[in-house]
Amino acid sequence: MAKDLTLLIILALPLLGFAINGIFGKNLPKTVVGGLATAMVFTAFLLATTLFSGLHGTQIVKLFNIIDFEQLCINASFQIDALSIWMTLIITGIGSLIHLFSMGYMSHDEGYHKFFTYLNLFIFSMLLLVLGSNYFVLFFGWEGVGMCSYLLISFHYNDAQKGLANSLAGRKAFIMNRIGDVGLLLALFMILGQFNTLEFLQIGKSVSENPALQGGAMFFITFCLFVAATGKSAQIPLFTWLPDAMAGPTPVSALIHAATMVTAGIYLTVRSNFLFELAPATKEIILYIGLATTLVAAFMAMRQNDIKKVLAYSTVSQLGLMFVALGFGAYTVALFHVTTHAFFKALLFLGSGSVIHGMHEEQDIRKMGGLSKLMPVTHLTFLIGTMAIAGIPFLSGFFSKDEIMAQALHHNTAVYAILVLAVTMTAIYMFRLYFLTFQGKFRGGEALKSKVHESGLSMTLPLIVLAVLSVLGGLLNLPGLFFKNTAHWFDHYLSHGTFGLSAVHNAHLDFNTSMILMAFASAIAIGVFIWAYLNYAKKGALAKEDDALSVWENLSAQKLYIDEIYHVVFVKPLLLFAGFTAKVLDIQILRNGVYAIADGILNTANLTRKWQSGFLSSYLFWMVFGLITFVAYYILKLSVWH
Amino acid sequence: MALILLPLVFSLVAWLVPSVQTRLFGLISTGLTLAWSIAAVCYFKASDHTVVDFGIRFVRFSIDSLGFTMILLTNAVFFLVFLSNFKSSITQEKRFTALALLMQFGLIGVFTTNTILGFYIFWELTLLPIFLILYWFGSFEKPRALLQFFLYTLLGSLAMLLAVIGLMHATNQQTYEGLLAADLSELGNTSIFLMGGFLLAFAVKIPLFPFHTWQAETYTKAPVAGTMLLSAIMLKMALFGLLKWVLPIFDGVATDFWRWPIISLGLIGVVYGAIIAIKQRDIKTLFAYASLSHLGLIAAALMLNDFDTNQIAVVQIVNHSIVSIGLFLAAGIIEQRLSTRNIDELGGIAKIAPRFAFWFAVLTFISLSVPFTAGFIGEFFLIKALFSAHAVTGFIASTTLVLGAVYMLRAYQAPMFGPTKVTGFEDLHWSELVVFAILSVAAIYFGLAPQCLTDFVAHSLTQPTH
Repeated sequence: MAKDLTLLIILALPLLGFAINGIFGKNLPKTVVGGLATAMVFTAFLLATTLFSGLHGTQIVKLFNIIDFEQLCINASFQIDALSIWMTLIITGIGSLIHLFSMGYMSHDEGYHKFFTYLNLFIFSMLLLVLGSNYFVLFFGWEGVGMCSYLLISFHYNDAQKGLANSLAGRKAFIMNRIGDVGLLLALFMILGQFNTLEFLQIGKSVSENPALQGGAMFFITFCLFVAATGKSAQIPLFTWLPDAMAGPTPVSALIHAATMVTAGIYLTVRSNFLFELAPATKEIILYIGLATTLVAAFMAMRQNDIKKVLAYSTVSQLGLMFVALGFGAYTVALFHVTTHAFFKALLFLGSGSVIHGMHEEQDIRKMGGLSKLMPVTHLTFLIGTMAIAGIPFLSGFFSKDEIMAQALHHNTAVYAILVLAVTMTAIYMFRLYFLTFQGKFRGGEALKSKVHESGLSMTLPLIVLAVLSVLGGLLNLPGLFFKNTAHWFDHYLSHGTFGLSAVHNAHLDFNTSMILMAFASAIAIGVFIWAYLNYAKKGALAKEDDALSVWENLSAQKLYIDEIYHVVFVKPLLLFAGFTAKVLDIQILRNGVYAIADGILNTANLTRKWQSGFLSSYLFWMVFGLITFVAYYILKLSVWH
Repeated sequence: MALILLPLVFSLVAWLVPSVQTRLFGLISTGLTLAWSIAAVCYFKASDHTVVDFGIRFVRFSIDSLGFTMILLTNAVFFLVFLSNFKSSITQEKRFTALALLMQFGLIGVFTTNTILGFYIFWELTLLPIFLILYWFGSFEKPRALLQFFLYTLLGSLAMLLAVIGLMHATNQQTYEGLLAADLSELGNTSIFLMGGFLLAFAVKIPLFPFHTWQAETYTKAPVAGTMLLSAIMLKMALFGLLKWVLPIFDGVATDFWRWPIISLGLIGVVYGAIIAIKQRDIKTLFAYASLSHLGLIAAALMLNDFDTNQIAVVQIVNHSIVSIGLFLAAGIIEQRLSTRNIDELGGIAKIAPRFAFWFAVLTFISLSVPFTAGFIGEFFLIKALFSAHAVTGFIASTTLVLGAVYMLRAYQAPMFGPTKVTGFEDLHWSELVVFAILSVAAIYFGLAPQCLTDFVAHSLTQPTH
């Protein structure tokens, strides 16, 4: 099959699933709805693997003109290259696993067909985002995933207790994303002004042909692109929507708010690498924003008691880590971590979903404990995920994090030191989460305990697959000291098949430094594991109650009061200003001013005419009469005149 | 010609139809007019320029592709207004039906007349029916608000009349072609005053800040059908006048003079309308201010008088008609079922009326200009045009993305989500459902294929000389 046709089918499948389930889903049996949605995404995945294996250079697939003006032509066209196909594999691969999981997870939900309709629409939008060959199609997808994210976060808006909170969380996410979108919009306008096109390849070409392009314009373009990235990828200052987004059903958190959509900002930066390479100042900003985010979010995750909130802050922190890599210009390294993170974070979220499902909607880890015996498969896979993210040697997260640490050590030792702190905290909060949930005694009461059950096959199968991937994911990009021939496969794959990346070289440390680095990282992860085992499993430490927290712990539990600060600094003033504008400026000054003038005119008229009758119809009559006389007079006058 | 006169004939016939059938008559007659115009457009080539001359001075019509687009829009809007209000008592009123059809005639006159005086006369002709509709069927407690609307419009009209006469006097021309060919450069400052006269009339009608104070109250107190007519089609007369008459004729000194003042007012409106909308409790008032915000963007972009941007502006004009019918219909449905428009008193409607919740959500997203809708294309390119004129204007215009999300999501979520505060909400009637569906299909169609519309109207837009 021709590549372009394959690509279009990949795009069309989730759209078709969306249409069928959207129109007929209500009347179809649940297995058909869920099965169809899953099959669409899985087939797209299979087709994507054929594109992957036959990948050869960059190919553009043009569908139609969206706008074709003299000065500006924008196409609906798509790009097949190493980067876009890799993202497609992640989206459809993990996407189909999460679809499968959802068939079990959502089985009791009355909005079942609506859920799969949205989910397929999301996959379609996300594919548009990564497959588009220009920024306009990317923007289409970018806005589309934002909308789907809103729909899915506020999915349970009818819930008796949490309905309102869910819908507010959705709104918050949408608005914060829109703030980032303004950045993307402005960046697109500046790119259009500079290059007169939005096609990636053409921009890349004119950049490489014109190396003098530097300075102000490039800084503003890349800065605005990064603003967009902070919105979608939940970086400081626009990160507070992501923890709230956990209001959505757990598969949504896994798919959208961990594995795919939130990595769109990283994709955007990697895609625009040739622009960022011309703006060292922006890269500096990215580095420090990423660094601050990874540290702050890791700190916030330390004392969360909601299983999903821990994972949410963890996601923000890991995304920050990826931006640190981008700040060093190590694009392939960032994308490697995107990949492994997609594996283990999807696994962890789905695992937490399985726990929540088994615990009958309980999310508080203070009420869990001892689930390892009640839910063996979930337990084992969750443990693997925890070990992968914590950086236990030879699991996927170990390798991808190690690469970022190596970049940091090579460029800037201070950054490396801060990263060590963040990584240590990651291991601490993750093992805390694991031990409190799965080890020790069950704390949810006997009534609940008897009802806790292991999830069905449609939920455990994706867990197992993702666990395998989380273990083996590191093989994609082994460091040079193992297996010389296959080492750095992923770096080569991406940098040879993606525009701009072949020009960028990652720093490589010498053998001894690499070994020390890895040994040190392993020591941290294993050390924390042992500490957590002794503290939680042996000593039986529990999550502290709110009033027993120290100042630092309280700051972590209260998320540094960022939400409250934003409320006072941004939301309140905006509302006050809006109130002032609406009530004082608009009504009292402008409208009443006009009233005063109108009354003045009428009062003058009162003296001469019988306006006192006060009937509107008489006003009306005289006005129309006057008007007609006026018009007639001029028509006559003009007619005579000619 | 039949295209122009059909609504007039129907309007006169409406008085003769027995009362029980009024409702059906309105629907069928607007339907017929719409069908006629759709059939006619199939035979119409975009480059055509049909002139209908009655042989009487001032009464000369010509239809080009822009005029045709506006006629189609008018006819579609009237049909949808009658269809969406099929269940409401207003369509049972003979007076309403006749007046609305008369207004339709006036609007088509505005969009097709070939003489500048004709433009003025038809412009005024549309005012009378809408005023009577508001007076008879609106809920104005005090005549003052209504009077404000009338005085405002009259003031604008007066300014326009003076400008029309001045223009005819100065150029000794009255047809479109004649005026276009006339050289205004020797007029100097006079042309600035003349254009100012037109702009004042348009600024009141669109409305632009600070001439908008009639809008919120009029929109709120008017019957839903009246609000739809006002915002979906009537104020488009002003944008049309700008696009077709004023900008090409005054291209040069006068346009350059007014460009930045009008762009500034438009952009103030974008932010000002949006900020006020955030605070509104009355859902209809909220949508009125949202409309102020959306239209400020179109007016500002039009003042750039750029060939490509003007084409996109037409897409956005159509989009605004779609959005305003849809949103005011949603507001009307809530008001009619629950006798309140205050969003504080509403909540949880989604649970009792899922079909309404779905379609209202679709329209909300259309108004938020999400991808695959006409607004996405429209907003993107209009803001882009403003951005290339000046980065700051582009930035101000782009705040509509964020502010729009703030007020629209509030307007949707407060009545629809949360704890159920209302009872006995009847889900959508078939006529309302059909309207929502037609609107959504149109928005998506123009979102995916804006080119068919822009290419069509491009034939009748003049390439500016600068």
